Amino acid sequence: MTDQIEKPSTATVDAKRARLAARSSRRDTIAAYVFLTPYLILLAMFGIIPISYAFGLSFMDTITMEFWGLANYEFVFSDFRIPSSISNVLSYVGVWLAMTLLLVVALSLMLDNINRRSATIFRSIYFLPGAVTSSAVVVLWLFILDPSVSPFQPLLHLVGWEIRADVITGLTLPVVFAIMTYFSQSGGWIVVLGGSLSTVPSEVIEAARIDGANRFQLATRIKLPMIWRSVVLMGILCFAQGLQIFVEPQLMMLAGPQFAQNDWSLNQMVFQYAFLMGDFGASAALSVMLIGVSISIALIVIFATRFYKLD
Amino acid sequence: MATTARIFGNKRVGFGQWVIYALIGIAGLFYGTPLAWLFLAGTRSGSSLDSDPPFTFGSFEQMAQSWANLASFNDFQILNWALNSLIYSVGGVTLSLIACIPAGYALATSDFPGRRVILILTLVAMITPSQSIVLPIFLEMNLIGLNNTYLGLILATGFFPFGVYLAYIHFSDSPPKGVLDSARIDGCSRYQLFTHIALPLARPIVSLVAFFSFLANWSNYYLAVVLLSDDKIYNLPVGLTALVSGSGALTNLAATGMPIKKPEVILAAILVILPVLVVFLIAQRFVRSGMLSGAEKG
Repeated sequence: MTDQIEKPSTATVDAKRARLAARSSRRDTIAAYVFLTPYLILLAMFGIIPISYAFGLSFMDTITMEFWGLANYEFVFSDFRIPSSISNVLSYVGVWLAMTLLLVVALSLMLDNINRRSATIFRSIYFLPGAVTSSAVVVLWLFILDPSVSPFQPLLHLVGWEIRADVITGLTLPVVFAIMTYFSQSGGWIVVLGGSLSTVPSEVIEAARIDGANRFQLATRIKLPMIWRSVVLMGILCFAQGLQIFVEPQLMMLAGPQFAQNDWSLNQMVFQYAFLMGDFGASAALSVMLIGVSISIALIVIFATRFYKLD
Repeated sequence: MATTARIFGNKRVGFGQWVIYALIGIAGLFYGTPLAWLFLAGTRSGSSLDSDPPFTFGSFEQMAQSWANLASFNDFQILNWALNSLIYSVGGVTLSLIACIPAGYALATSDFPGRRVILILTLVAMITPSQSIVLPIFLEMNLIGLNNTYLGLILATGFFPFGVYLAYIHFSDSPPKGVLDSARIDGCSRYQLFTHIALPLARPIVSLVAFFSFLANWSNYYLAVVLLSDDKIYNLPVGLTALVSGSGALTNLAATGMPIKKPEVILAAILVILPVLVVFLIAQRFVRSGMLSGAEKG
């Protein structure tokens, strides 16, 4: 972080120049807001207003439009599906986070250990599944997890899984969803960690090697601590995103009604309340709570870790 | 291997190195196989998918046949969805560029009251997963009657805080302050500075923001499925799921009368993935530099 050097204040110069400077800074402000106008309109329309509106609705009976106090919140907390969806989401986040932290870090450190050209090729291969997003991930993996067509057929047969239902019950849903998200998102993080690894000074590596560190010690004792901040950032962002899982469970019904999971995750419950029960108030209440969690995580990232450039 | 040994000054390129290559290769199989399979599978017939080994190449005639089935289904619906996806993406990308680039410039080059608040709000919006705000956006759009319209989705996807942050980072160091100052002394107004000096030099950041915005737009599922209820204005990701659930092509049940079976679904999935994949391959270096400066959320 470079601290900005304080400019000498204009207090010492005469009044006329001070007035000119004030006018100039006022013009600067106006110009800045002209540049910001389109963005600020969108920020208000799709950030501030919808959240405030949902917050307001969460205290209303949305059918009669009367103030309802905490009734919507009480309704959400008394819904028997909520505890199970919380535990579903947490187990998914646990699996996905563990996979991401372990495998992304291990693969990044290993890629840092082979020659640069092969590393670039492999990094590209890892990165390409990032093109498979949202509904396409689920459709693709419903094929991959079906032993009758899967490219991993021999492997699946080896475990004794003959039909898709075997695979899904065998792996369990949190693992299935974790594999889907890991598949499309981990490559991007491997690129990010590759970037932070390339900033580790070569003198440090050289010094450690002269002191007799082997490749493994170099990776775990020198490189890992030096990229720790990026690893923590990855963990926090994945955690925040994992809590919001929606698409993967929602689209399990594509494999047939027996696979449908309509109230598996918290975001699906938001969807259920709004579109199956038509209860916008309850939906807004749950949504507001989820947003509260996400925003708290964001504020922690911004103020406690200082990953992002603020000034 | 020889190169590695030279780089590391390590004479024993032994067992350890082999293990590393093996593990990296196995991971490569995990990431690469599903995509390779998908593109091969696009050439195969339904019966070949079920009975031949997974990595069989079908034929281009078969692919053309499946494509004809898919394209003509429901009065060329899939082409309509693809066109919609294009409209949403072009609209969303254009709007996000109009909003993000000047905003990032203002945040980076001038110090004005409210700057820090806007910056913090931008970061909060960028880190908060976009899924969390889908329902509030729906409620608001419902109120103002923009549900189920092209305009509604385009406006919503034009809000792209990550793009503002990328532009802000970019304009923090380029063009150098000195260049701006001397242009100012030469009589450039604050607006001319942006349009004549900063913007022409900002091509890389414009393409970078456009790329990430395209990615977000093209693959938009959750917001689109909530906002759009008329299947005429679906985008491709939503259309793909409508196609699969309507035909039951993935259920392995007795065939419905529809011409949409596994091969057609595979081609539809390829249609969703391919544009992004092509852009990825063309713009790889770009993407990386963007990810490194912003560590994007999904």
